Amino acid sequence: MHDRVRLRKIIKMCTDLARVAAALVLCGSTAAAQPPAMPAQMNMADHRGAVTGRVRNASGAGVVDATVTAVHAENGAQFTATTDAEGAYAFEALPIGKYDLSIVLAGLTAFRQRGIDVAADRSVQVDIVLNAASAAQAAEGERLELLQKIATLEQRISDLESTTVLSEPETRVRRVEVFVDDSGNEHDEPVPGAKPAVTYRRERVYRRQTISEKIEEALEEAGKRSVSVGVDAAIGTQVAGRTQGLSSLAHNHAYALASADLFFTAGLAQNTLFFADIVGLSGSPPDAEIPTLTLLNGYTARLVRQNELNLREAWLRTELFGQRLALTAGRLDLTNYFDANAVANDESTQFLSDALVNNQMLGLASNGTGVAAEFDAKTGFRFKFGLQQSNTEATNLSESMYTLTEAGYTFTPLALPEGTYRVWFRTDNSSATTRKGIGVSVDQKLSPAVALFGRYGTQEGDLGRDHFYSAGVGFQSGLIFNPQDTWGVGYAQMELASGEREKLAEGFYNFHLTERLRLSFHLTHVLDAPGVDAKFGYLLPGVRLQAAF
Amino acid sequence: MSRPRPLSLAAGGLGAVVLAALASGLHAQGVKISDPTSVVMIVNRDSNDIAFMDIKTRKMVGSVFLGNNVNPHMVMMSPDGRYVVTGGTRANKAFIIDTRTLQLVKVIPTDIAPEHLAFSPDSRWYYQGNPDGDSISVIDMQSLSKIKTIPGFVEPLNVTFLPDGSKAYVGNYGAHWVGVVDVRRHELLKKIQIAEVPGVAKLDPGKYLSGIKGINIAAPSYDGRYLYAADSDLAVVGVIDTREDKVVKVIRVGRDPWRIYMSHDGKYGITANNGDETISIIDTRTNSVAATLEAGPDMTGVNFAGGKAFVISSTSGFVYVYDMQSLKPAGRIKIGTNIQLETATTDTADQKIYLAESTNHEVVIIDAKTHAIERVRNVGLFPWGTHIMDSKDNYCH
Repeated sequence: MHDRVRLRKIIKMCTDLARVAAALVLCGSTAAAQPPAMPAQMNMADHRGAVTGRVRNASGAGVVDATVTAVHAENGAQFTATTDAEGAYAFEALPIGKYDLSIVLAGLTAFRQRGIDVAADRSVQVDIVLNAASAAQAAEGERLELLQKIATLEQRISDLESTTVLSEPETRVRRVEVFVDDSGNEHDEPVPGAKPAVTYRRERVYRRQTISEKIEEALEEAGKRSVSVGVDAAIGTQVAGRTQGLSSLAHNHAYALASADLFFTAGLAQNTLFFADIVGLSGSPPDAEIPTLTLLNGYTARLVRQNELNLREAWLRTELFGQRLALTAGRLDLTNYFDANAVANDESTQFLSDALVNNQMLGLASNGTGVAAEFDAKTGFRFKFGLQQSNTEATNLSESMYTLTEAGYTFTPLALPEGTYRVWFRTDNSSATTRKGIGVSVDQKLSPAVALFGRYGTQEGDLGRDHFYSAGVGFQSGLIFNPQDTWGVGYAQMELASGEREKLAEGFYNFHLTERLRLSFHLTHVLDAPGVDAKFGYLLPGVRLQAAF
Repeated sequence: MSRPRPLSLAAGGLGAVVLAALASGLHAQGVKISDPTSVVMIVNRDSNDIAFMDIKTRKMVGSVFLGNNVNPHMVMMSPDGRYVVTGGTRANKAFIIDTRTLQLVKVIPTDIAPEHLAFSPDSRWYYQGNPDGDSISVIDMQSLSKIKTIPGFVEPLNVTFLPDGSKAYVGNYGAHWVGVVDVRRHELLKKIQIAEVPGVAKLDPGKYLSGIKGINIAAPSYDGRYLYAADSDLAVVGVIDTREDKVVKVIRVGRDPWRIYMSHDGKYGITANNGDETISIIDTRTNSVAATLEAGPDMTGVNFAGGKAFVISSTSGFVYVYDMQSLKPAGRIKIGTNIQLETATTDTADQKIYLAESTNHEVVIIDAKTHAIERVRNVGLFPWGTHIMDSKDNYCH
């Protein structure tokens, strides 16, 4: 017994020595180093104390594997320690304060002592004897605790009443990597001679979900496996008023063209999808009567036959090399994937005139079978290449090959917001000689609300070089009626080697009525010079109603 | 007083070292974490525990099981490092863990579905948001007890305390206002409307009447003077002057901004716009959008480290990277295929990002400089978020 007391004293002395040593080391290090950061200072303030002792039974023998519980009297924090072979226990790092110490044996509280004071950097010794007196004293504490438990249960019932949720275990399947040895034994961790293999494993977890969460998940899962259908429908009406020239064929005529695109999308494999676009058009655009060089209604380009459905596009797309390279193959409108100017590229939401939607020098009139490849390094740089059949009447691809190559870069120049700068080059061998064209396309934000755009293109013609220019400005936020509205003004000019000229200006305001519905007003003026002395000009106010869902 | 002989000194020194080693061994039995800044905390939703990983060794120090079907949501350490707390979303309780011993020392009933939480700067108050209960539970960290439930919120998601601890600001995801709480009295003082709902909204019941996606968080500027609150439905960020508690600027951003994340140098805020899969970078000097850049789908977080922003696209398996000097894309990091990325925290040196990846039950450590990744597997089931004491990127979904 004396030896044990001495040993405890030695251990206490060692602990003190260790503290002194640690303090000396700390002093040395703090003297040499910078002052510690704030959190470290706060951590140093978290002083603790200790409670140690022995648990004996009535005959004086140590009680083994008894759980001693210390509960902080003020905040209820609960700590536990287990007695060793000699009945000793230790709480080495208790936050300071008063504690209730208790021992439960065979479901009954055998000991309880309140108000044990734990001070900073001090150790308190509490030796416990489990006998009839200690059990009786504990029983009273037990009664009070029971009352507290009843109150807690009442609160729990109240919780359950207000939050009834599913609580059965959730199961799911996941892909795991395992290691299989020569005998076919599967290991979770690498073992000598085992090869890595991939398998699928079910796991069960305790995730409690509400009924609405379950339904949402099921609907989302079903949606992923189904074919998605989208609709983009628009009707554009325009009225033509002659402003220059003698031709009066279209003067005061009204025009309307309705278009409906049906999109079908389905996921086929990892990063691979199928897309089809079927379009039907009906109506009379101004282009049927006004012989301008460019289309006054961009939708006219889609019109193959009145009131008939036409398959515009049907392709497969897959993404490779960490989804940096996207390949699209099938029936394409290759120009959809190139020259994607942010301000002037969409006849359904931006300008209506084709001269302010496409670069006229791209020179592809029809959709056809082809391939497009897009490399996006996600650093702002993009490189695209595509080839497509340019003449659907051709009997082979070799003699109707249209190719298009583009390099683009997005960055924030001169402290301006982002801008994208592109240059493209195209060839077409569908005529007797291979025709080439080259162009640039720029969209640059000046502020979050204002963006400029510009295009230039030139191509080889039979009589020389044709040129096309367009430029303009787009607005969003700030000078608008509703938060998502946009508007813009643009100018385009085309000069052909044959001497034909066209100058076109358009302004529009697009009301974003709902997520699915837009209404826009347009005013276009076009001035064409088909010959040296022949000129005509028209002013075309128009309205476009567009729904996409 | 006689001087000890050299031999006795040597023997005494040796004995002291041996005994100190013995003593420290005994001490270690009770203490599992001696330095609260040395660990990454990982909240595991499906194994219902909080796991602790040593930052240097990447080894798991321990974990604290909270109970079946608890589904903890966000974990946070008190600013003084004494406690680690989490809200058990499906248990309607707050769980308090002693940092040093990793013992679960208190379980406190809250309101319905506790998720995000915050501590007052002095560590005294733990505000637990209860989105389904439309309330904040106020827990006193001295008595470790709930002293009040503040009602009157609408799906409160995140709480932000002012640096002086006088007021707290609550983002209401089910409304278009930020709540101002008087921390002295724990009362809702004021509702700050971020922006007016446009008149055209009445034409769009499908969006505006089916369910509100309002304000996730009011994030503080570098000096704490201003708060930036993104409103998802309205696609704007409102700038709040905390001296007067009023909106001084409304900034239009991309569609459906999930929330705003502030850069560590205070120069920029980034909104993750899940509606058009872009990010809007807001210059806090001019309070205007400096750039809108392409990003990925289903963004759940933005971390800042090494002069870059790392944007987590949860369903694509990619982290998109942006250079914060040139404000242009700087590549993307592939974490995996068919996996779900959750949220991440950044170390206090702004060098490493600790990203929770729930499908494979792992934490992915991203080197901000080289973009190299390191995986720490089997951290628990469905790691949902991570947390490091004093990190500037401690957030949740």
